Amino acid sequence: MPGSDGKPAAGDLGPEALAYADALHNLARYLTGNDTDAEDLVQETYSRALGSASQFTPGTNLKAWLFRILRNTFISQYRRQRNNPTVGGLDTVAPTGYGPADVGRAKDEVELDRLRKVVAEEIERALMMLAEDARTVILLDLEGLTEVEVAHVLGCAVGTVKSRLSRARAALRGLLKDWKR
Amino acid sequence: MDCHDVRDQLLDFQRGQLGGDVATEVRRHIDGCVECAQAELVERELTLLLERRTPQYPAPIGLKRRLIARWPSASAPAPSAARRPWPRVLLPAALAAAVLLLVVPVAFQLLSPHGQGSAVMVTEAVNDHVRLLQSQRPLEVESGGIHQVIPWFTGKLDFGPAIRFGGDEEFPLHGGAVGYFVDRKAATFVFGRRLHTISLFVFKANGLPWPTSGLERVGHEEVYRASARGFNVLLWREGELGYALVSDVNAQDLKLLATKLAS
Repeated sequence: MPGSDGKPAAGDLGPEALAYADALHNLARYLTGNDTDAEDLVQETYSRALGSASQFTPGTNLKAWLFRILRNTFISQYRRQRNNPTVGGLDTVAPTGYGPADVGRAKDEVELDRLRKVVAEEIERALMMLAEDARTVILLDLEGLTEVEVAHVLGCAVGTVKSRLSRARAALRGLLKDWKR
Repeated sequence: MDCHDVRDQLLDFQRGQLGGDVATEVRRHIDGCVECAQAELVERELTLLLERRTPQYPAPIGLKRRLIARWPSASAPAPSAARRPWPRVLLPAALAAAVLLLVVPVAFQLLSPHGQGSAVMVTEAVNDHVRLLQSQRPLEVESGGIHQVIPWFTGKLDFGPAIRFGGDEEFPLHGGAVGYFVDRKAATFVFGRRLHTISLFVFKANGLPWPTSGLERVGHEEVYRASARGFNVLLWREGELGYALVSDVNAQDLKLLATKLAS
């Protein structure tokens, strides 16, 4: 039942909130890098969601709201405690240059050929080498969240999401391309 | 529009998020620029790669059980120690009252002429989809193609769940199951879209409060679009059968699948 102020009570988040456990755990696993911390992070996320159910606005995207809680929890509780892998982070990756001088056809064909041979383990390794922001934006995009929803999760402007995603994908491509089989 | 402009908009272009004129300009540039055409292929390949091969880490069963146990609406309330049991003589009356409390509001909504019924249809579709997602074994028949899934329903339903689209690379058909929609059996088809699950419920359409306004043309059918609790829902009927398509995938992708199903 809704609370006296018309806002949702804890139980009103409904069973659909639990239906996102897989998606939340997946992101948690990529953020924390291990199963134990990922489980703890998801449990803490749901615990916080219950505690702040009245802040959820009915009609908005519950999944994005839960992702936001998870990420904020990760930032406040986990990231400071561990040695977060940030090799090749966004700030260290130069923006991709454009134009025929930089992007030759032969070069792109090699990259295309290389991408087609990438295996799952290489994707995971590359994702884990990205900075947390870059990893998160790629995974949220993969979850099908809109740019507006991703912006809500990350607490940034919609335009920032677009540029972060673009740079994150370029960094990922660079990592995947550079590895020799 | 130069190469820089095009590269900045490649993702939006591939996802159909650009306006008609801009999309046309990007298309025209790509058609005439070898480098941008190749870059477009690379972006598309990266998207496919991520969608198909990124390792997934679903929540372990033990974690799900712990979450369910702690979730207020998912676990049964503990009986109060102070509450005295119903006298045996009152049990039949109490059960009848409980049935009425459950049935009357639903029946009222179903029969309401003021559009409440369509909300019931949408809510039912979302609930059925969520139940499917939460099920440990959501599929009773794994897909080996539509010609394996459709015959599996034979003898399990009193209608033939005909669908025109049997899945492709964009929307692979994962399988099917028998479920319920409101008060009747439904054939459930499960499609994929990237990491998302899309449920299609096919059921006998008669006697349900189908929306009659706010419909839009999708393929050959008049479709009702709604969203509830973060899920997108499309409802339509074709002859004696009703169709409910539900997912948390974005509305555009869901409509694309509906177009394939209704064409």
